[in-house]
Amino acid sequence: MTASTATVPRRAILPRLGAGLVSYAGFIPAIVLLGLFFLVPLGIIVCYSFWETIDYSVVHHWTSDNYHYFFSVTAYVSTMWATLWVAVLSTALAIGLAFPFAYWLSRYVPKRLRTPLLVLVIVPFWSSYLLRVYSWLTILGEKGVLNRFLEWAGITSHPLSVFLYDRPAVILVLVYLYFPFGALTLYSSIERFDWNQLRAAMDLGASPLQAIFRILVPQIRPGIITAIIFVFIPILGEYLTPQIVGGTGGVMIGNLIVNFFQEAEYTRGAAVSLLVAAFIVVLLVVFRRSLSAKEAYGA
Amino acid sequence: MARDVEVLSARARIARALLGGYALAIYVFLFGPIVLLVLFSFNANRYGTFPITGWTFTWYRQAFADYQVHDAVWTTIKVGLQVTGISTVVGTAAAFPLVRSRLPFREGIRIVFILPIMIPGLLIGVSLLVLFTSTFHWTLSPETAVIGQSVYTTPFVILLVAARLQGFDAALERAAADLGADLFQRLRRVVLPLILPAILAGALFAFTLSLDEFIITYFLIGGHNTLPIFIYTQVKFGITPEVNAVASMLLAGSLLLLSLAFVLPQLLRRGRWIVMRARAT
Repeated sequence: MTASTATVPRRAILPRLGAGLVSYAGFIPAIVLLGLFFLVPLGIIVCYSFWETIDYSVVHHWTSDNYHYFFSVTAYVSTMWATLWVAVLSTALAIGLAFPFAYWLSRYVPKRLRTPLLVLVIVPFWSSYLLRVYSWLTILGEKGVLNRFLEWAGITSHPLSVFLYDRPAVILVLVYLYFPFGALTLYSSIERFDWNQLRAAMDLGASPLQAIFRILVPQIRPGIITAIIFVFIPILGEYLTPQIVGGTGGVMIGNLIVNFFQEAEYTRGAAVSLLVAAFIVVLLVVFRRSLSAKEAYGA
Repeated sequence: MARDVEVLSARARIARALLGGYALAIYVFLFGPIVLLVLFSFNANRYGTFPITGWTFTWYRQAFADYQVHDAVWTTIKVGLQVTGISTVVGTAAAFPLVRSRLPFREGIRIVFILPIMIPGLLIGVSLLVLFTSTFHWTLSPETAVIGQSVYTTPFVILLVAARLQGFDAALERAAADLGADLFQRLRRVVLPLILPAILAGALFAFTLSLDEFIITYFLIGGHNTLPIFIYTQVKFGITPEVNAVASMLLAGSLLLLSLAFVLPQLLRRGRWIVMRARAT
């Protein structure tokens, strides 16, 4: 950089600098919007998590009490662990279910049908998130389809409420919510795979499953990692799903955060939020390569 | 592909059939709940479930007559339009330097722009709640919800427009400059027509996201309701066919907008191509 500017006459630098500033001007509205209303609030949350609430007002007194408090309450800590394993299990299930689907779509479906069939999977993903959670109430609820079916089949005589308001319901709905994303991401990496390699492996004596796990899977690893990250992270911040279908048995860390803020315990809520945010940022930094959300969301 | 089908062994054919059945089950799993929701909104059964006792528009009529639904619809549209306006302008403006400028920090700025999509909406909601109520001492209103939603929707517009900007041939713009077009003319006559489909898709996309957004709005809208918030407050009292009707309408609205977001840009592109060909002959 310095070498090239040294050779350019001084006169030429100014217009170039001006053009550079002009080309940067487009950033200004976005920096105001995202700086003032995204980064600044996150910074405030960081401060709040180290301040104290006394008599419902926030005192600017630095302390780590909010964190100590969170880790001293067993119910909170167990909710944190439960959130982690629910997220791990739902992510594993969503991607495990998506893999055979993506495999089928890219291997056995004629080319012209692939895009429409893929769009069909993505459409629910972009349609209302609340409604997709809500729709499960009509199936799992006490008067829901499942109970009606069981009564009709004579398996039970009265409606069961066991399907709702516990972790299995939460996991089921989370898998339902995030399956399309797993399928989309896996498909876009399997699509580029050269199937001849699989045939070659099988000609050399590998069983189909061996060929898939030793030849295909290693080559689409970046796609799998991207899918895992982008399914796992939003699940960590889930509020609505545990709230609607999870009840008291399915509480996740998102519900704790909301409760703290609704009870005006801003500093404690901020500490829990920061724990979640920090965990996510660490995940993103570890898998920095996956930050190109462009291919995932732009599709 | 036809050749592949011929050489498939018996075992491969079984695998294909099994996977085909599996895929079908997946589609049933994905669409079943939504289809049932819509089905029950037309069901005369008062409990919004099986059995189907007859077809009716009663629930829709009830929903239309409900002033709470009216309010929620208007708030949803009002918020949606404002969010669309803000995120389209801000997002399009930011896409240019993101793709074009060669200045430092571009990578860092790009990450900040994409972060609101990746951070759970819950965190955006609570942090803005603290900013608005504790720091600024603002009263929560649909306008504060507009700001919150814009933080979340703008990055999508940036990504869509940036992808299009990256895709088009910069030589076109240089050619225009060589032919004497100034910056404004180049933007107006060359760049804008080329990226218009992406801007339009971004706008429709932002509107759809705003329409369906729940968690940020829930924290920031104060005493008002958008449709998702209204549905949520009703769900607490159990599922009713009237809520099913409102939900079905919201679903129809977002699917319509979504298909427009996919189809309209392509129509525009095709339309321009036809015009260009007509001019050329």
